[in-house]
Amino acid sequence: MATEDARYRQSSQYRLWSFTTGHLASLRNECNSLAQKAISARLQSASPNDALPEFLTPAEELSLVTHYTVELLRAAAFIELPTEIRATAAIFLRRFYVTNSIMTYPPTELLKTCLFFGCKAEGHYMRLSKFADKFPNTTGEEVLAAEYVLSQGIRFAFDVRHPFRALEGAIMELRRLGDFENKRIDRAHGKAREILKFSPLVTDAYFHYTPSQIMLAALAMADEGLVDRMLREAFAAQGDTAKEKCWDLIQACRAMLEKEPPRR
Amino acid sequence: MAVSPLVDGLPNPAARAVSSPLKNAASAQASSNGTPVPAVAPNATAAVQSAALDLSEQMNEDEKRKYIKGKKLGEGTYANVYLGQVRNDPSQLVAIKKIKINKEYTEGMSPDAVREIKHLQELDHPNIIKLHTVFSSKDQNLNLVLEFLPLGDLEILIKDTANVHYGVADTKAWMGMLTRAVWFCHENFVLHRDIKPNNLLIAADGEVKLADFGLARSFSDPYRPMTSNVITRWYRPPELLFGARHYSAAVDVWSVGLVFAELVMRAPYLAGNTELEQIELICKGVGTPTEENWPGVTKLPEYTISNQITPVLGKDHYNALFGTVGNEGVDLLMKTLILDPRKRITARDMLKHPWWHKDPKPTRKKELPRKSGGEGEEKVGADLKCRPGVVDEDRTNKVARKLDFGGPL
Repeated sequence: MATEDARYRQSSQYRLWSFTTGHLASLRNECNSLAQKAISARLQSASPNDALPEFLTPAEELSLVTHYTVELLRAAAFIELPTEIRATAAIFLRRFYVTNSIMTYPPTELLKTCLFFGCKAEGHYMRLSKFADKFPNTTGEEVLAAEYVLSQGIRFAFDVRHPFRALEGAIMELRRLGDFENKRIDRAHGKAREILKFSPLVTDAYFHYTPSQIMLAALAMADEGLVDRMLREAFAAQGDTAKEKCWDLIQACRAMLEKEPPRR
Repeated sequence: MAVSPLVDGLPNPAARAVSSPLKNAASAQASSNGTPVPAVAPNATAAVQSAALDLSEQMNEDEKRKYIKGKKLGEGTYANVYLGQVRNDPSQLVAIKKIKINKEYTEGMSPDAVREIKHLQELDHPNIIKLHTVFSSKDQNLNLVLEFLPLGDLEILIKDTANVHYGVADTKAWMGMLTRAVWFCHENFVLHRDIKPNNLLIAADGEVKLADFGLARSFSDPYRPMTSNVITRWYRPPELLFGARHYSAAVDVWSVGLVFAELVMRAPYLAGNTELEQIELICKGVGTPTEENWPGVTKLPEYTISNQITPVLGKDHYNALFGTVGNEGVDLLMKTLILDPRKRITARDMLKHPWWHKDPKPTRKKELPRKSGGEGEEKVGADLKCRPGVVDEDRTNKVARKLDFGGPL
C-alpha cells in the first residue's frame, strides 16, 4: 500500500490516463471517425446537396494538438504562470483531445480554458476578469464556456503528476553520492529542467511513462553519465537484468522527448 | 497592448475546423456550475448531435449507466444527495451527490468542488470516503458517486450521551481509523484542513471514513504561501490562528488531537466563539505559546496573547481530564497538542505509539456502538449535501465562505 509504485497505480494519471501506444492510437482513431460522422450528419441535415469537406486524419489532428500545446505554453509564459500550472494546463489540453476532436472544439478557445482551469486545479485562483484581460479580444464568458466540457473531457481527473519534484530529488541524490563535480550536476540540472518544461508536455510521454521515468529520460538527455550512476546505485542489489530493463525504458522515453527538444 | 502569443501566423489547416459549422465550445449548454448561458440557444441540430456522441460523451454515458439513481436522501443549497444502486449489482448501494449551482461563485466550477474531486480521485483507503466515479448529467450537473455511509457520523455519537455509551476500547478503535486516514492523506502529500467529528462518517460495518475534502490541498512548495483561514475554529491549531502562511501536515494532527479529546470528554475541549477566544482557550487549556516553547512564534503575523501567561500544562492536568484512556493514551494526546508544529507528533509516529498495543485492545468494528433508528440515513444526506468545507452554522462559525479566492490557497 505504501510503496511509491503502488501509490502511483492508484492515481488517476495511471488509472485513467496511461495507455499503450496501440490503445492510445485506437482511441484517437475512434475519436476522429466519430467526429467525422457527427460533422457529416450535421452538414448534410443543414445543406443536403453540398459535398462534404475533406476531414483531418488522426495524424493531422495530433500534429495540430502538438502545435496548440506549444501555443498554450507560450501563452502561459506570456501571463507568467508558475511551471506546474503551465504543465498541468498543457496535459489537460492533450488529454482533452484524446477523446474530443480538434475539428469539433476550436483549440484557440480551449487552450485558454485549460490555462484558467489549470490554475484552479493547482489551487492558484485567479479572478476570471483579470485572467481574460490578459488576452486580446477575450471575455470571461468565452474562457468559461468550455470549462465544463473540458472537465468532462479530462474525465474529472484534476491531479496531474509531474516530474519536476523527481528531478529535485535526483539532483540531491547525485550531490549526496559525491562522485561528480557540482558544476557538472548544476549544468545537467538546468538542462534537464528546461527539457521537462517542454518536451514531455508536447509529446505523448505522460501517457506512456511515469514521472520518474520521464525525469530520468530528461536527465539522460542532459548528461547520460549521471543517470548511469544513479541506476547502478538503485539496482546494486537486484542485478543487471532489472537495470537493463529500466535503462531500455528510459532510452525509449528519451527517444520520444528528443523529437521535441526545447525551443530557444 | 502587448501582442499575445496566441496570435500566430500559422497558415493552418485548422482554419477549416474553426470555420466549420460545428458545435463549438461556446454552444455548450448552460451549466449549473456557472458556465454562462450562450447567447444563441443550441439549434435544431441538437437531435443529430445527441445521436452522435463524442468519444468523451460516450465514456461519460458509460459511467452514468453504471448506476441507478434512487430516492433523494437530502437536499441542501450546495448539493442534493440521492441513494443509488450499482446497475450490475443492485445490492451495492452508493450515494450520488449532485452538485447544484453555486450562486456565490460565478467563475465556473467552484473551488471546493474542484478540490474535493481532485483529491478524492487520488485517495483510495479503507478509512477515506471512496469516490467511485464522477459523471455529468443533463444541464451539465456534476454527479459524484460516493460510498454510501448510512450510520451517521462521530458527532452524532459523541453528542447523544443519553443513548450512546462507549468506552476506551471504542475510542481507541475510532482513533485508529482516523489516524490511518490522516496518515494516508499525508503520505500522499494532501492536507485535509477540516478534520472534525462531523466529517468522520460511519459505514454500515462500523468503519470510520474521513470525508469532505472541500478544503483539502496538496502540500505546498516551500516558497508558495497558503491561506491560514482553514479548519473549523475549535479544531484549528495555534499556527493558523496566528496567521501562518507556511504550514505543514501538523495542522491536521492538532485537529486529530482535539477529536481525541472530544471523544473522551463528549464535548469539544476548546470551543471558542471567536478566534481571539479560541487563542485564549488554547493558552489556558494547553499553554501559552512563547518563544521559549516555540521559537519564532512571536514573529507570526497575528501573534497576540494576553498578559496572563500559562506555562505548558503538564501530565497532571491531562490525567485529570482524560485519565480514562490510560497513561499511554494521555501521552499520545499530549503529543498531538504540542504547541510548536515542528515538535508536534506526525500521523506516522502516532501510528507507532505504544498506546495502540496497551489494554484494552480496540473494539472490533462490527461491535462498535452505533446509533439506532433511521437517523443515520438522514444524516448522510445532511453531511453530504453541505458545501464541503462549510460548517453547520448552528454549531460553530463558517470557514470556507470566508476564503479569499483571490489569494493563495
